[in-house]
Amino acid sequence: MSTVVNPDLNKKLSKFGNKSEWNECFHCGNCTAVCSLTEDGNLFPRKVIRQIQMGLKDKFISNVDPWLCYYCGECSETCPRDANPGEMMMSARRYLTSVYDWTGLSGLLYTSLPALIIAFIVIAVSIFGVGFAKQFNVDSIMSFGHHFEKYAILSVFSLIILPNIFRMFWFTILKEKTKVPLISYIKGTWDFILHMFTQKNSLKCENNTFRWLEHLVIVFGYLLLLFTTVFLNWFSTENTFIIWLGYIAGGVIFVFTFDFILSRIRKNKEINKYSHPSDWLFVIWLFLMAFTAFLVRVFIDTDLLSNNLWLYMVHLIVIAQWAILIVPFGKWMHFLYRSFAIYFANLKKTGLNV
Amino acid sequence: MGKQNSRAVIFQERKNSGFEKLEQFTGEFPEVKEVWFATDLSLKDKKGLSARIKECGVEKIIIAGESPGEIKSFVSASLADAGKNPEDLTLVSANGTILSDGDLLSVFKAKILCAVKDVSFELASDPPVNPVNKATMVIGGGIAGIQASLEIANAGIDVTLIEKTGTIGGHMAMFDKTFPTLDCAACILTPKMVEIGQHPNIELLTYSEVLDVSGEAGDYTVKVFKKTRRVDLATCIGCGDCTEKCPVKVPSEFDAGTAMRKAIYIPFPQAVPNKYLLDGDNCTYVQKGKCGVCAKVCPVDCIDLDAKDETIEIKGGNIVVATGFKTFDAEKVERFGYGKYPNVLTSLEFERLLNAAGPTGGNIVFRSKDKKGNGIFEANSDSPERIALIHCVGSRDENYNTHCSRVCCMYSLKMAHLVKEKLPDAEVSEYYIDMRAFGKGYEEFYERIKKEGIDIIRGRTAKVEEKNGNLVLRSEDIEGMKLIEKEVDMVVLSVGLEPGEDSQKLAKSLNILTDDAGWFAELNSTNQTVNTIRGGIFVAGVCQGPKDIPDSVAQGSAAAARVIQSVINSKVKKGLSDLSYNDIETKVNELISTEE
Repeated sequence: MSTVVNPDLNKKLSKFGNKSEWNECFHCGNCTAVCSLTEDGNLFPRKVIRQIQMGLKDKFISNVDPWLCYYCGECSETCPRDANPGEMMMSARRYLTSVYDWTGLSGLLYTSLPALIIAFIVIAVSIFGVGFAKQFNVDSIMSFGHHFEKYAILSVFSLIILPNIFRMFWFTILKEKTKVPLISYIKGTWDFILHMFTQKNSLKCENNTFRWLEHLVIVFGYLLLLFTTVFLNWFSTENTFIIWLGYIAGGVIFVFTFDFILSRIRKNKEINKYSHPSDWLFVIWLFLMAFTAFLVRVFIDTDLLSNNLWLYMVHLIVIAQWAILIVPFGKWMHFLYRSFAIYFANLKKTGLNV
Repeated sequence: MGKQNSRAVIFQERKNSGFEKLEQFTGEFPEVKEVWFATDLSLKDKKGLSARIKECGVEKIIIAGESPGEIKSFVSASLADAGKNPEDLTLVSANGTILSDGDLLSVFKAKILCAVKDVSFELASDPPVNPVNKATMVIGGGIAGIQASLEIANAGIDVTLIEKTGTIGGHMAMFDKTFPTLDCAACILTPKMVEIGQHPNIELLTYSEVLDVSGEAGDYTVKVFKKTRRVDLATCIGCGDCTEKCPVKVPSEFDAGTAMRKAIYIPFPQAVPNKYLLDGDNCTYVQKGKCGVCAKVCPVDCIDLDAKDETIEIKGGNIVVATGFKTFDAEKVERFGYGKYPNVLTSLEFERLLNAAGPTGGNIVFRSKDKKGNGIFEANSDSPERIALIHCVGSRDENYNTHCSRVCCMYSLKMAHLVKEKLPDAEVSEYYIDMRAFGKGYEEFYERIKKEGIDIIRGRTAKVEEKNGNLVLRSEDIEGMKLIEKEVDMVVLSVGLEPGEDSQKLAKSLNILTDDAGWFAELNSTNQTVNTIRGGIFVAGVCQGPKDIPDSVAQGSAAAARVIQSVINSKVKKGLSDLSYNDIETKVNELISTEE
């Protein structure tokens, strides 16, 4: 089998955030050995860096290893070359997101700040346009918003997320012609679901329990908020239980995301030292979404909303930007890709054993 | 000269180099048409630079910077692209740290002047000479200082050898074998030490430190702080009664802390001078005014407990600096557990275990504790069965020292071999980043060791942890494409070399330069390897940069050659630091007028 070498691969990867020179790495193996998550068969970060340095694009794309890293930063702290392997892995994940994305928008939004800003403005203007068309009537706008949420979730999921996950499956398993017995697919599902909701692998990272707990609370808070607003119609319900459920979910998210934003500003830990625009957007929009949702419900409960429609408009704009841009093309997908990566990595292992 | 006004100077900008200050200075030469900075974005690629060369009608380029060679090929290619002669190129090297020192900026300026005027800097900066005081001073009594002293003294020149500790010998005296020949280190070193002690032309000052250096090339005065030994060298018969009775025990420096010594002691049996020494910092009498048992038992009354330190002045024409190094403090790398796990050792400690004259008589054993809880090694303790050696501890690491310490690969291979020799059934493994077996016979030595059943693994160890009483180290086996979690009984950290504790202070007294890592800077790394910026001051051995024993000996001899040369000629060249910019400019004009 021939191997295609793509000498520009590292330059391409650098556009996805890594500020260090890829050639800084002299392959001592420290990062791999210091990592608590690496194991035989999935040796990283060094091997990933090697593939990028050598321009082995096909091999790199078929590699799920970047997703198995939870970025504790220990490799970067102890790297004898200050090469920042943790940040290299993060860039690799962003790049892979763009490779899996069939629309190509991921790559554009990750690498071009102007494109990202324009996309956010276009959505804001469109939502404003809808408001204008509905003559800024509270009831019809809120009913639009509720339907929008449902259709956005449905279409983003079926048109983008599902095909992209399939593409990931194609690049990592099918294209490599890994023969996986059918039973492994079934056996792996429980593990897959467990990892998806708990991301429990990140507990293996040193001193990571608190960060893991914060993430877990945010994931469940987020799912709960999604459920209460979209399926239980939080903004229109009279049911006190649902109202309180929504308040708790929203409150939990904005408290925890606020802490995340603060630590990114303070840069006090290795993992917070480098923030790509996509990292900022993710935490800030999550915060804004929960915060505005919380306020909207407060305004409804205090009968202030009809005179303060702007608040709902802001909330809707944030939701739309989140659902249309950040979820399918941004950092949100890491949540799914990571879980699938663990699933695929296990499939590959059973495949190799055949 | 039709192309008078057709030169360009490109400054190869580096961080903190401060070349902006030189823009005006360089531009004022009538020969210089353009002054550019390599950081200028429009000059970053060949296309941009060659376009600019054409546009400005530049015929010759001078690249000035800390390492101008880095961009030479690119500039040369750009000249060719612009249709000019690619050979019309001169490099001006700032030579390391010269720029950081305000006064020495003039040296760099003078180099630019010479390049612009097409005059050899070596010719223009040939310093004037001074008459020389034949007496010579050597600072540091390790193998490099010993070699230099003997070479000079054997040429009939008086030498004063100034050594900080109580004996000469330095680090080499602590070693068991030398690589790659596996010769006995002491068999090479101790005869030289004895020769120093008996040489009619050598005055040995041990337990002495250089406080200050004044004067100029050919006539230096060195102020030496002579700590009192409290034992009279002339009358002490070396019987050892004092040591036997002394109640104070402290870790022995010579044994790298693997054994204890008394407060009154002899550093090691072959020490020169082979006389006792009282360590005032740890002596109960000196500190608290009680005890004094050593003086009472001394059969020749040679101990004066109340003796005072003194400061003396020595004069001489040349100085050889050979102050050596200290080893990296392994406790800084917490992940390796040195200081936390008793059987994680530094290579220096391990050398002492391997040494037949060491505290265990050459037995490799586990660390035990004495009554006061000091971790020592005793000959009758158990031996480990699995030993791992970790390379590059504190070397080639941006977090500690970026330099390669040059000796660790080879001494680690040597140690692995010696372990196999002493404990044939032991499992020995080594973890390295790159194997640097660069010297004569070294690669062959490496090949030989590989065949001795030692696991030599490419992969830097990331951490050492204690699990169930075993040490577990984690490393990537890069060639075997697997992760290693290995249980061992003992871990040896191959610590790197660092400039000595007082090297910065000494450099200041001597008024010589140090490089970024703190090593003493030679004037020129290819043809003036032992000279410094000051005339009559030479460097030898590891204090100039990490090197092994053969290289230290060679450099000691080289420094001696410079000294002998100056004494035979009865004159010594002043240094570059004695020349002002105007001196060099005058010389340049002289050279140009004689040429015409």
